[in-house]
Amino acid sequence: MSRQSDSRSFPVSLGSIARRPEAGSLVGLVIVYTFFAILGGAVFIGAPGWSSWLNIAAEVGIVALPVGLLMIAGELDISVGSVIPASSMTAAIVSGHYELPAVVGIVAALGVGLLVGFVNGYLVVRTRIPSLIVTIGTMFAVMGLTLGFAVLISGSTSVFLVPDPVTKTVLGAFIGGMFNVSMFWWAGFAVAIFYLLHVSPIGNWIFAVGGDRESAHNAGIPVKWLTVSLYMLSGFAAAFVGVLQLMTYQSAQVAAGQSFIFNSIMCVVIGGVLLTGGAGSVIGIVIGTMTFAIVNQGIFFSGLDPNVGSLIIGALLLGAVLSNDTFRKLALNYATKKS
Amino acid sequence: MNKFSRIAATVSTVAIAACVATSVMAADIFVIGGKPDDPFWSRVKKGAEDAGVVAEAQGGSVTWLGPQNYDNLGPDAAELIRQAIDQGADAIVGPDWVPEAMDPAFEAVVAAGIPLVIYNAGGIEAADRLGAMNYVGAVDYKSGYAGGEYLGSAGHKNGACVNTLPGAANIEAFCNGFNDGIKAAGGTGSVLQLPATAFGDATAVAQAVRAHLLQNPDIDAMFAIGDGDTNATVSGISQAGKAGKVHVCGMNFNDSILNNIQQGTQDCAIDQQGYQQGFFAVSILNNFVNYGVTIPTREILTGPGVIDASNVDLVIEGVKAGAR
Repeated sequence: MSRQSDSRSFPVSLGSIARRPEAGSLVGLVIVYTFFAILGGAVFIGAPGWSSWLNIAAEVGIVALPVGLLMIAGELDISVGSVIPASSMTAAIVSGHYELPAVVGIVAALGVGLLVGFVNGYLVVRTRIPSLIVTIGTMFAVMGLTLGFAVLISGSTSVFLVPDPVTKTVLGAFIGGMFNVSMFWWAGFAVAIFYLLHVSPIGNWIFAVGGDRESAHNAGIPVKWLTVSLYMLSGFAAAFVGVLQLMTYQSAQVAAGQSFIFNSIMCVVIGGVLLTGGAGSVIGIVIGTMTFAIVNQGIFFSGLDPNVGSLIIGALLLGAVLSNDTFRKLALNYATKKS
Repeated sequence: MNKFSRIAATVSTVAIAACVATSVMAADIFVIGGKPDDPFWSRVKKGAEDAGVVAEAQGGSVTWLGPQNYDNLGPDAAELIRQAIDQGADAIVGPDWVPEAMDPAFEAVVAAGIPLVIYNAGGIEAADRLGAMNYVGAVDYKSGYAGGEYLGSAGHKNGACVNTLPGAANIEAFCNGFNDGIKAAGGTGSVLQLPATAFGDATAVAQAVRAHLLQNPDIDAMFAIGDGDTNATVSGISQAGKAGKVHVCGMNFNDSILNNIQQGTQDCAIDQQGYQQGFFAVSILNNFVNYGVTIPTREILTGPGVIDASNVDLVIEGVKAGAR
């Protein structure tokens, strides 16, 4: 679906750019950046400003990418909000409380993410319950288990871990004192998921499942396997962010992570992914994440009331959905005219 | 004096003697508090038990009553207060967490003539309202004030309080206290108000702090309202390239914060000193029941206690002993 522009007419015309699914998101990004660049001035345009919003974008972005894949496949994942604290708490308890090597804690934390993802996927394909409800259910279950085990094992709702230098460098350091290494992990995730969605055949399966689940199944696509895998990927990514946060801030708290639920969905939608599934792109999700992060951080550079930031994000979200429809119609009109 | 009245006199003398004897010999003090495995409350409990050593030497006892969990805090705690009355307490210590649910039970304590001390929550207002002897605890406003005063007196005159939970009364009290404290030391204070979506997200807090500092280069002092937020604030300051230039105090502490104070990346932590709450509440009641002595000072403040480089080593020893 998104690969139609591969072969002919490579000279990039303005018209072909406008018909790319990311076009609307890109316009939004440019407008938002310009707006805050004017208000925020030199500090926002310089390295401190860039690192400020990139640090935010990286963590939301790592979660938003697989959540975006799920949304393209027509599913939602709310449970990321509790997988993040569950993972950082697991790593903190294993490596901080029991003082096992950091690797063991990280593997355990990522395992928790994969497990929650598997349960989500299994419940979604086995029952006919909408994924929104399934993952709200697992979110609360995981939240309760995290709180319960944290208090039972460590006697506290926050556990601390001082990572060894290697772990700290790889997962929680600030380059130049300001750029968090998480943004390289984000870039890595983006490349891997770009390959998955836009190059490998699995990408077409994801679009097909999101477009029409029944037909995809009839066409021989392993829909159930694919759904479970996508949920496990999303659980894994959320758990990875949990580990990054733990290594950066050296503490795990049972309440952290709820903000990621809506933030990741917003990034994906601002990035042009169709809420009903079947359309979207990795570049769009990345652009959406950047836009979201720029508003989020730009607000502190602009001197505006922080609550105005939430207002702008809300307006952007609505604007994105409206403009996606417009651009989609544009693309469809063009296609019909041509044939 | 006839035979009957002689017997009556003897009996009453014995009865009075017995009463006096029991009250001198034993002050059975019941302490209502949090779960014993809660890190904060385990320190309060240790304080109560340490004061209880004296009570036991005098033949008395200290009994800790804590809820199984905090799901139904007010009614559960009210139930514990009534249990203490039923078990024949000579004196009761309790926090006024949820006045609506707990005040009737406290009123029953006072009505039964049992000496009562309110501690940890409720303030002197609750003690006055309920007819309790005293209040032992910290006051949120004064904790913030201590942070502002500490940083202001150290020469850091432009402060900002990081409010990650706008609207919560105790957090507003911390920030108002901080601003008043730094003003009293000749500085100015402001509040960095974060959107509600940032709560609990260390990255969001750190980046907000950092952006705020870059945009307001004059700020040289910050106050955070909890230990997690303090860690995030310290990170935001160093990312802004302002480590050593912007000074931080925060509420509460944990191992990593004590470490930061030792390293010098954090200036001070404000502690409400739970150990003192348990210790003094029990001592006041034990001495009153045994000897009738009172503490005329109303509102015994156990906090704010300031932890900085000068006493951090002692605090670490206290942590090892379970008292801090």
